[in-house]
Amino acid sequence: MCLTPSPRTLQFSWMNRGLIVKAARELWPATLFCGALLAAFEALLAYVLPTLQGQFAETMLQLRFMQTFLSAMLGTEVSNQLGPETFFSLSWVHPVVLATVWAHALVCCTRVPAGEIDRGTADVLLGLPVTRWEIVRSETVVWLAAGLAMLVAGFVGNELGGWNVPGGERPRLGRMIVVVANLFCVYVAVGGLAWLVSAASDRRGPAITVVFVILLSSFLLNFLAQFWEPAERVQFLGLLNYYRPLYVFRDGTVPWRDMGVLLAAGGVLWTAAGWVFARRDVCTV
Amino acid sequence: MPIIETQSLSRSYGRRRGIEAVDLAVPEGAIFGFLGPNGAGKTTAIRVLVGLLRPSRGTARIFGLDCWRDGRRVKAEIGYMPGDLRLYSWLDGAAALSIFGRVRGRDLASYGRELAERLGLDLRVKVRKMSRGMRQKLGLILTLAHRPRLLVLDEPTVTLDPLAQLEVHRLLSEMAAAGHTVFFSSHTLSEVEQLCDRVAMIREGRLVANESLEALRSRAGHEVTIRWRDADAARATEPPAFLRLAKRDGLVWSGMLDGPVERLVRWLTDRAIDDLAIGRPDLETLFQQYYAAGEERR
Repeated sequence: MCLTPSPRTLQFSWMNRGLIVKAARELWPATLFCGALLAAFEALLAYVLPTLQGQFAETMLQLRFMQTFLSAMLGTEVSNQLGPETFFSLSWVHPVVLATVWAHALVCCTRVPAGEIDRGTADVLLGLPVTRWEIVRSETVVWLAAGLAMLVAGFVGNELGGWNVPGGERPRLGRMIVVVANLFCVYVAVGGLAWLVSAASDRRGPAITVVFVILLSSFLLNFLAQFWEPAERVQFLGLLNYYRPLYVFRDGTVPWRDMGVLLAAGGVLWTAAGWVFARRDVCTV
Repeated sequence: MPIIETQSLSRSYGRRRGIEAVDLAVPEGAIFGFLGPNGAGKTTAIRVLVGLLRPSRGTARIFGLDCWRDGRRVKAEIGYMPGDLRLYSWLDGAAALSIFGRVRGRDLASYGRELAERLGLDLRVKVRKMSRGMRQKLGLILTLAHRPRLLVLDEPTVTLDPLAQLEVHRLLSEMAAAGHTVFFSSHTLSEVEQLCDRVAMIREGRLVANESLEALRSRAGHEVTIRWRDADAARATEPPAFLRLAKRDGLVWSGMLDGPVERLVRWLTDRAIDDLAIGRPDLETLFQQYYAAGEERR
């Protein structure tokens, strides 16, 4: 009698179609919600900011603290002249936009394994004939696709909101795409961090809290670095140091280095998460 | 070659006890009962077998494959249902069969529907609207639908109504008759007694028994009930050393007989008794004996 399972079950696979379907079924509500929110907010900003640009610029230049605030949000010194690029950038660094993107990454990337263990479904999931790496890879494919869909929704919202702005005053499409790509890299890095914390946790709430505190610290570091020298010295540790849309809109440069750093950080964190998850014990009781 | 084999299998949770040096061998085609009170280590052993926990020491093998390292290959041929079953709230039965089928690379729909009919479960109901019993039925369907070679079930009938329990017993018996192996833990001793060929008992993380029910019973001796003809005789008589009385209530004595039945019959020959019943103990009695022995030793 042969006790070895049939060869069909021994095939190596990178992902599992069933797990992809499961992840997609679980992620579409959050993606729809965040995508719609991002699209609506981008449309609003793209519509409002250029219209009020003249009045805003005048008021802001008179108020010193507003300049500091703008510099902190954009992550760079804002000169005495507030051009249209500054306002295009604002719509991509607004705290609501960043919070939406980060929230989506947090929701997606703490589901496995922390969320599964927390709600007790990990036993069923890990009772299936898949390796833990297969679970990570399948979930990751859906997470990245969902993140991309959300950002595309934001991009479309921005384009639709700016329909009334004369062509010459609109940011160039290519530069806008680069900014969205840079934001996607931020999303990947945040997701990688969330994956790692989740891989080492049994509870989703504390996992989300830990990542949120790290992100908030990163945001504050970027903010403080504009007017506090000690923070400036460690600014390179902050996530937003590698996301500066103003340079892209103003100079048209593609921030390859920044995007590379973010993708590398996300990749390393994600790999570490998979490694931890593949070796850890899972206990739901 | 046993289908499940553990050697000196231990798993601890820091200071908390898990299981200690468990040697288990489950033959193919058997219905194997795994018994023990709460916290004895049943679920820990099962979790090691399905690759959720890594052994601290020793080995756990299914189909000759290591349960941790070859988990994917092992799980392709087993159906596992956890004790405290939780399913995704957004699932309904049909979606669950479709998704689990895709994960396993098999069509589970037709046999799944057949099982649902036998267990009386509507596959259109969402998990979030199901009672505990309905969720348990869906869990069983998902565990059985790919006709696994080995079923690992942690208290599978605990929330089911008596009719559904009967149907599950029938299903498990049919699977065993078809050559599948069933390894299940249960608190319901009558269920184990009715279904199992072999049982293992675990106490405080250690295996205290692992043999066929028949062998367990014969080792445990005989259950004896004696009804005396008159109360004076019952009171005046002292029980022999080979008869361990558990109850001495007026005319009726009951207890366990050590050694051959003839010895008791000879002892009773000249005594005025009305009735005598001698039989093998049921599983509940055996279970209590094993655990009472443990309590006494402590």
